[in-house]
Amino acid sequence: MYTPPLRNLVDELGRLPGIGPKSAQRLAFHLLKVPRDDAERLARAIVEMKDRTTLCRVCCNVADGGALCPVCADDRRDTTTVCVVEDPRDIVAVEKTGQFHGRYHVLHGALNPLEGIGPEELKVRELLARIEPEGVAEVILCTNPNLEGEATAMYLARLLSPLGLEVTRIASGLPVGGDLEYADELTLGRALEGRRSVREEN
Amino acid sequence: MGLLRLDLSSFRIFASTVFEPDPGATTVIVGPNGTGKTSILEAVGYLGTGRSFRGSTREAMVSQGASHALLRAWLEVGGREVQIEAEMAKVGRSKVLINRQPARSRRDLAEAVAVSTFSPEDLVVVRGGPAGRRDLLDDALSLLQPSAGGILEDVDRALRQRSALLRQCRGRLSSEAEATLEVWDDRLGGAGQKLIELRRGLCHSLEAEVERAYQSLAGDDAQRVQMHYQCSAEGGLLDALRRARVEDVRRGVSTVGPHRDDLQLTLNGREARSQASQGEQRCLALSLRLGVHRLVTAQLGHPPILLLDDVFSELDPERSLRLITELPPGQTLITSAVPLPRQVEAASVVDIAQLRGHHG
Ligand SMILES: [Zn+2]
Repeated sequence: MYTPPLRNLVDELGRLPGIGPKSAQRLAFHLLKVPRDDAERLARAIVEMKDRTTLCRVCCNVADGGALCPVCADDRRDTTTVCVVEDPRDIVAVEKTGQFHGRYHVLHGALNPLEGIGPEELKVRELLARIEPEGVAEVILCTNPNLEGEATAMYLARLLSPLGLEVTRIASGLPVGGDLEYADELTLGRALEGRRSVREEN
Repeated sequence: MGLLRLDLSSFRIFASTVFEPDPGATTVIVGPNGTGKTSILEAVGYLGTGRSFRGSTREAMVSQGASHALLRAWLEVGGREVQIEAEMAKVGRSKVLINRQPARSRRDLAEAVAVSTFSPEDLVVVRGGPAGRRDLLDDALSLLQPSAGGILEDVDRALRQRSALLRQCRGRLSSEAEATLEVWDDRLGGAGQKLIELRRGLCHSLEAEVERAYQSLAGDDAQRVQMHYQCSAEGGLLDALRRARVEDVRRGVSTVGPHRDDLQLTLNGREARSQASQGEQRCLALSLRLGVHRLVTAQLGHPPILLLDDVFSELDPERSLRLITELPPGQTLITSAVPLPRQVEAASVVDIAQLRGHHG
């Protein structure tokens, strides 16, 4: 019932997370009405973002075209402490607490066999490669407080502990099953402050 | 607590009907088979649990030709009136309002309308495979232990993650796969062990209640009832998972864990599943539900609504009589297609034909 270009756009929008068929339709018809300049600006912004955004070569956070991310580029940050998060958005959450002055490492996910995600799909090798050259003394495991996040933290603790550095996990007290992204600054700040050393229990 | 009034629209064969049982005593709904008696209990059960005790889909419960069914109930809970309204959609989301506020979880519902249900299908709990017995324990735990819901979810998810990983191994255990399997063993071991302890504790407290119910139903034929939780993991679950690792990888499934456990039921030391008569098995199936009902009553401080579907056809006349004379206090709704024992006449009786003819 739509022309092929319109159908195409509805399909593409519908593939975005959180956008159902109804919303896709509404957005497409909205774009049909806006001036050509506005539509072009949106299209350009998407392409430019794809062309110019890369992953920071140190921490795998999003960065501007081959450069370091703003955190890694800041030489006042403490390079001996690394906070491991699942997602670049989690960096924003931790930064808001104002309690962390080291650098980050973004895994881009958590262990999840049901979705086919094992250690090879995460930026684990990249993390291990940083420990010696950067002189990392403490790794804070700041993955989400749900089943997959806990499993990922434990997996990393077992890999990192033998390397002779301090491995800590943010304190529980965050809403269980939740995402770090939605934790408020105060709770997350307390969880960071109350982090505990992870020891091999075997 | 008690149900004061239930309004049904477009639910099963009821275009529109009003059911007003006795809120503090027993109401028997009588009528031939296939006339909708069980549907009334099903509707009450749905308001308390968010699902059909017959295992029916919403598509089957909404009347033909309608897109939604509307279930409205007024209850008396601790001296206050509570209104529950469920809009059941054939497809898509259904919504349930408790005093006009959306219910967020099954626990919300269970707290507003607690129900205990017995139906003829419960015989499979005694005679069938272990899954039915595990469900009996887990359903009771969700009502009795606030922490049980989260633990059950964690166990289910950890088990599915571990099983997915085992399948991906395709029979071979590389050292990398082993390192990830270890963390899932740990997750499943932790949550699974908690579930095992909860189930064991429940078996322990349930045993005396089930035996009491069994003996009051069985009369002269009183037998000792024992409930023994059979754990697939010897020692701790975590150690058992580690020991089973090679075998699990070879077979691609988790061979130990709470999902492989069973509840052994015995009557005077005989295995009820294989060695009891059908009459004894029926009596035990009902006793299990009555036992859970008593524990939940103690926990809530008031009895849940007891729903007994077609219970007289399940029991011989003496047992039927003993059931009705020794029913626990509170509201009980019973359906029956067979003539009632004489003593039931005191209770209120509703003919299903009246409900079907009602256009309120
Ligand atoms: Zn960086």
